[in-house]
Amino acid sequence: MKKYSLYFLCALFFTVSCTKIEELQDDPNRATSVSPDLLLTNIETKAFDNVSLNSALASRYLTFTDGVNENQYYNWQQASFANYDNIKQVHKMIEESKNAEIEVYAILGKFFNAYFATELTLVFGDVPFSEAVSVEKENYTPAYDSQEEIFLKVLGDLRSASNELAANDELILGDVIYDGDKTKWRKLINSYYLRVLMLLSNKTDVASLDVIGRFKEVIENPTKYPIFSSNADNGVLTYVNIQDNRYPLFNNNSLQTAYYMEASFVDRLKTLGDPRLFVFAEKTPTSSALANDDFTAYDGLYGSAIFSDNAAKAVAGNASRIAPRFYNDPVNEPSLLIGYSELQFILAEAVARTWISGDVVVYYKEGIKASMTFYGITDSDTYIAKSEVQLSASNPIKSIATQKHIALFLNTGWQMFYDQRRTGFPEFNVDGGGTLNEGRIPKRWLYPSSEAINNGTSLSEAINKQFPLGDDINSQMWILK
Amino acid sequence: MNLRITLFVLLFISYLGYGQQPIKGKVVDENNIPLMGASIVVANTTNGTTTDFDGNYTITVAKGETLTFSSMGFKTKQFTVADATTINITLIEDAAALEEVVVTALGIKREKKALGYAVQEVQGSSLEKAKEPNLVNSLTGKVAGLNIKNSTDLFQSPEISLRGAKPLVVIDGIPDRSADIWKINSDDVENISVLKGATASALYGSAGRNGAIMITTKKGEKGRLTVTINSSVLFQPSFIKVPDVQTVYGNGNQGQYAYINGLGSGSEGGGWIWGPKVDQLNPSTASGFFETPQYNSPKDAAGNLMPLPFTSRGKNNIKDFFQTGSIQTNNVSVNWGSDKASYRMSVSNVYQKGIVPNTDLGNTSFTIGGTLNPSDNFKVSSNLTYNKQYTDNFPEVGYGPTNYLYNLVLWTGVDVDVKDLRNYWREDQEGYQQRHFNVSYYNNPYFQAYEYERGYDKDNVFGNIAFEYNITQEFSVKSTSGINVNSLNRTYKEPKSYVGYGNKSLGNFTNADSKYFDIITDLGLKYEKNFSDDFTLKSEVAVSNYYRNSKWASTQTDGLNIPGFYNLANNAGASYIASNREEEEAIKSVYGFVDMSFYNAFYLSVTGRNDKVSTLPKENNSFFYPSVSGSLVLSSLFDMPNAISFAKLRGSWSRVSEGKIGSDPYSYIQAYDKGTTWNGKTSASFGSSLLAPGLEPETSDTWEVGANLRLFNNRLGLDVAYFEARDYNNLIYSPISDGTGYESMLLNGDEYKRKGIEFVLNAKPIETANFSWDMLVNFSKFRRYQEEIYGDREQTEGFIKVGERTDKIYADVYQTNENGEVVFENGFPVSDPYQRYIGEDDPDWTYGITNTLKYKNLNLSFLFDGRIGGLLYSTTNQKMWWGGKHKGTVNQFRDDANDGVSSYVAPGVKVVSGAVAYDVNGVITNDTRVYAPNDVAVNYINFMQTTSNGHTKNYHYYKESFVKLREVTLTYNFPKKVLDQTPIHEFSLSLIGRNLWLNSDVPNIDPDSGVDALQAPSTRNIGLNLNVKF
Repeated sequence: MKKYSLYFLCALFFTVSCTKIEELQDDPNRATSVSPDLLLTNIETKAFDNVSLNSALASRYLTFTDGVNENQYYNWQQASFANYDNIKQVHKMIEESKNAEIEVYAILGKFFNAYFATELTLVFGDVPFSEAVSVEKENYTPAYDSQEEIFLKVLGDLRSASNELAANDELILGDVIYDGDKTKWRKLINSYYLRVLMLLSNKTDVASLDVIGRFKEVIENPTKYPIFSSNADNGVLTYVNIQDNRYPLFNNNSLQTAYYMEASFVDRLKTLGDPRLFVFAEKTPTSSALANDDFTAYDGLYGSAIFSDNAAKAVAGNASRIAPRFYNDPVNEPSLLIGYSELQFILAEAVARTWISGDVVVYYKEGIKASMTFYGITDSDTYIAKSEVQLSASNPIKSIATQKHIALFLNTGWQMFYDQRRTGFPEFNVDGGGTLNEGRIPKRWLYPSSEAINNGTSLSEAINKQFPLGDDINSQMWILK
Repeated sequence: MNLRITLFVLLFISYLGYGQQPIKGKVVDENNIPLMGASIVVANTTNGTTTDFDGNYTITVAKGETLTFSSMGFKTKQFTVADATTINITLIEDAAALEEVVVTALGIKREKKALGYAVQEVQGSSLEKAKEPNLVNSLTGKVAGLNIKNSTDLFQSPEISLRGAKPLVVIDGIPDRSADIWKINSDDVENISVLKGATASALYGSAGRNGAIMITTKKGEKGRLTVTINSSVLFQPSFIKVPDVQTVYGNGNQGQYAYINGLGSGSEGGGWIWGPKVDQLNPSTASGFFETPQYNSPKDAAGNLMPLPFTSRGKNNIKDFFQTGSIQTNNVSVNWGSDKASYRMSVSNVYQKGIVPNTDLGNTSFTIGGTLNPSDNFKVSSNLTYNKQYTDNFPEVGYGPTNYLYNLVLWTGVDVDVKDLRNYWREDQEGYQQRHFNVSYYNNPYFQAYEYERGYDKDNVFGNIAFEYNITQEFSVKSTSGINVNSLNRTYKEPKSYVGYGNKSLGNFTNADSKYFDIITDLGLKYEKNFSDDFTLKSEVAVSNYYRNSKWASTQTDGLNIPGFYNLANNAGASYIASNREEEEAIKSVYGFVDMSFYNAFYLSVTGRNDKVSTLPKENNSFFYPSVSGSLVLSSLFDMPNAISFAKLRGSWSRVSEGKIGSDPYSYIQAYDKGTTWNGKTSASFGSSLLAPGLEPETSDTWEVGANLRLFNNRLGLDVAYFEARDYNNLIYSPISDGTGYESMLLNGDEYKRKGIEFVLNAKPIETANFSWDMLVNFSKFRRYQEEIYGDREQTEGFIKVGERTDKIYADVYQTNENGEVVFENGFPVSDPYQRYIGEDDPDWTYGITNTLKYKNLNLSFLFDGRIGGLLYSTTNQKMWWGGKHKGTVNQFRDDANDGVSSYVAPGVKVVSGAVAYDVNGVITNDTRVYAPNDVAVNYINFMQTTSNGHTKNYHYYKESFVKLREVTLTYNFPKKVLDQTPIHEFSLSLIGRNLWLNSDVPNIDPDSGVDALQAPSTRNIGLNLNVKF
């Protein structure tokens, strides 16, 4: 009896004690190292995903009727530093690229690094850059770089990315934008380089940046620095009818019920007789019996109007919603990082600013045509020939900005807002009595409040250096001065 | 000889001199065992003595005087002295004051008086009548320091916290880290012992850091074969709290409503309930009421919708939609036992019918348990339970179109009659398009109930075997081994046109399977010796192995081809959305303890444990922690006044470390996550948190003191416990600058202090032969403070500073001036760019009061419990104000807005000049604002749609205080003499009620659950229980 029970006890114990602790210390669910192309795919889906309803409200394309919206009424506060996560993904791609002894992903990494950093500085002003994402140096409180320093580095990186890519003969895998076509990548990088230079149009006197000289260099060396030559070169993410790959506003309910077209935008399209209106908007409920191409069937809500007036107009059925394809079509239109049309307007503006020589009208009309082609409008000549559409000789930049605004409808992220902030065109209405920032359009966003807690010293230093009145949405950042 | 003469003389003298006589005798218990140390006192004098080792005593006393015999744990007896000189007394054990034995860590039974920490017990018998589907709900209010927040929704686990943290659940000595309480049937529970502090459960290692709820199941008792049938049924005929909504205005916006196509745009009013008044008289229409096109309008010849009267036909929607829920519980158990073995089998079934149509929950258990004593020195006991939890559909909770209240109460105007929605497919679109007044934002509640089904099917097997073999008198070897196994299949059937938050479903089917297995085996050597009557020692050393394995896999379609056909083969998409996970984890431990007892008055216990875990980096995965506790029974050491029956002081200290970071055993490994798969191309991304090198286990040091006092022959008892815990080296995700590319770094840092006090009061105010009244009062309070912030920061991301309570709430608010008046611009409040403090989350006190009254065969027991203080955010109330359903929105301003008039001037100020500047922490650095009263009239509807009236309602953080009549049981036990004629031995019938009455200041919701993300109405449960023993 005694013996058996003892045996039994011991046997029971040893049946379960053979697993070694150390054998269980690997995660079967996650990989500790990956090939860089896997990171490229993810980075691309972030960088090229540029459909933003908030920017459409701030840029007076759309209005919102489910409450007073801070983007429409211009009283927004903090924005986020989320793009640093993307920069980290880029750093990881560069690191894995080195591990795999491949260069091409590190080269593309320079472009993405420059892109995300530019996006950040356009929102806030000075931001961490040279010390950002350097935890391997145990730097957890990165200092803020001035916009001048940031753009200097961005421009340098873009130029070397283009040059290095030209010399590289490796394959690019995991590329959902250009499927590994390096020429197109170079065109994208150089076209984007020109956009960055145009963003610096108030800083042509800064010697280190040499804005005009750099711009010229690209235009004068088309073989070395190829740029977009048609819509086929566009930097786009094309949506697919697969879960998580669909147009981001597909099946969006608010878009169907609470968003309406903005009146000043609709009116402008009506004045210009612009057929793109029919691609952007739906007829008002009260005009549903009219023909689709009847301009009088369309109306909008005034962005800065008193909220209740807008709500009443919408309920009365006198406001157009966005075209149903935006919420009914899972593929709809691709999302642009930068497109051929925008490039043409950049070139037109460069001519107008006498940075480069050339015919401003040719670039201007090519930009309009490219935009209409993007929206599937085959006959653009009639429109381009209209007198209302002709480039204003006295204020070409206004005409260019107006057409750029139309071309970037609900696409290319906040680019149009930044361009309007830079040039003042087209005018975004603030006179409707409803805006909440004393009638001003904010110039920037407040730094995220977590920075005050986690990187307070660096942040205070940056604020003191830039904005004597403190962190404020109405303060001018360096590039705008 | 001399002695005899002396004695005689003495006796004679005393008899003659004082009229007194020497009395002698023996005091024994019911089993005729002599009672040593029993006291004998002459009433109303100081004359007294105690019995010797053999229970003998002598005392001199006058005839007619009364002797009082008493002994700890026995009922006091009085005897009036007559002629007899030998008085032998048998004392009857007092069940209430027995040397209470409680189940402590590892299932070790110990005398309660020997414990150096707080333990509170709940007997299984108190849980078997007014039952909840989840056993833990039944513990609400019954244990001081154990805070249970009950959900009003079907099949939602209550939130359990013991001294502010989630305790370990232990079933028959086997930790159940899956903590699935639904698998335990309350009929199978012998008792529940709550070990309140870390010291109490230190032997469980890291898992026991926050105390433990020890559930001991029944294993059969010695005695004849008995069959028990316990059966109850509860109905949910009414609500104790349900949202009280306005029935004056219907769907629409700005007072306008006309149905177009259900998409919500234009004259449909965007889904708001800010529409026209209902029941407006209009003599020009056929019905005599205002008429407008509605979703159920017939079409005229031209295909246009014909107007229908806009009336309050949906006034009873809540009553019409919800059905009477019920809970049926049946249990049959068989019990038998002899000296050598005992055995118990039990079958249980719980069936709950939800208040939402087509929802239910089944729960079935088979349990066998028993003990074997083949020889005097060998003992085996075991238990095995199979449990199945199953439902084809139970409601989804949380705010959004998947919530019934959302669709039925919050976002449906009174102009819609839910009864009409029972036919839920649009004509000719069956399977493709639900029929509802708004198909962009909301789901038809019947469509949701009958077509959107969430299935749950879980099989649980758990059990244990324990052996103990006595090698010698002192040494024994013991082993326990237990397993928890479960497999769960969940299905989600989403019909086409089902509305989720922000999108419309293409129809989907998800199938998710998980498997879980854990096993723990302890093998120990025990040494026990009573060195003398004054010193005993018990000790044990043991090794323990824990291994756990879980697997999970889920596959989802990307749209459905054939509507309503829920099978993965019916996938409309190019690929499936699938994922899986696997986890393995092990802990190897060595532990031991020494319990010593001196003079039956002083007790000391020391424990130690070393864990080696797989869930920390290899260099830091082994760690040791000790505990020490002691108890001093003052009433055994010193003479106490008569009133004091028992007095004890206790104290303890422990250190317990935890080596697992969150629920993922691999948290300490830095690796890539899966990124977005784009058009078939997979991708990877790097996580948002960084790992610090050299992660160590986190540790809690806890000390606790307590006192237990029992007065007036145990009729009044008070137990007080005070504890403080220092949680340090915490494994935290410490926020770092986003500029680093990471949101946080996982590291050892931050320090918290927890402290709390608990009172348990027992009283028996009345006790007579036929009537008794027992009372149990629990009161407890708990606080947690920030003692240190990693990196010496001024405040946490939640704005908590060192020394402050960690439950402070900061919320998005509007700007106010120095007088606290809200600042308006254009008639609307101006947002403060920084979050501001508005109160604390935790309650000040949690309490429960149980009263039990017995009169002859009648037994009435009722429990009140609740919380005092603390704040609760109410989504229901915020959305009611926002959407237009709150009764407070019925006013003239609203009528004005409906007429297109902006008449609402919110009380507050506007800025006429000046500006305000803040530093980075939101502290005002410069304020030159000059104010005038706000005089801008705005549209009331827009004002509410923008503000939800938050600024006048503390931003919808409400005081959580409440008192609830939790439980009432009225039992009639049929008398023995009636039952003697029948084969029935015991028979009782009870009227039972749960959740019967609530008093709280929070409008529209039951604060019990502590959260409100649009909860189901709180139901009143009333029913019967029948208990028959053959």
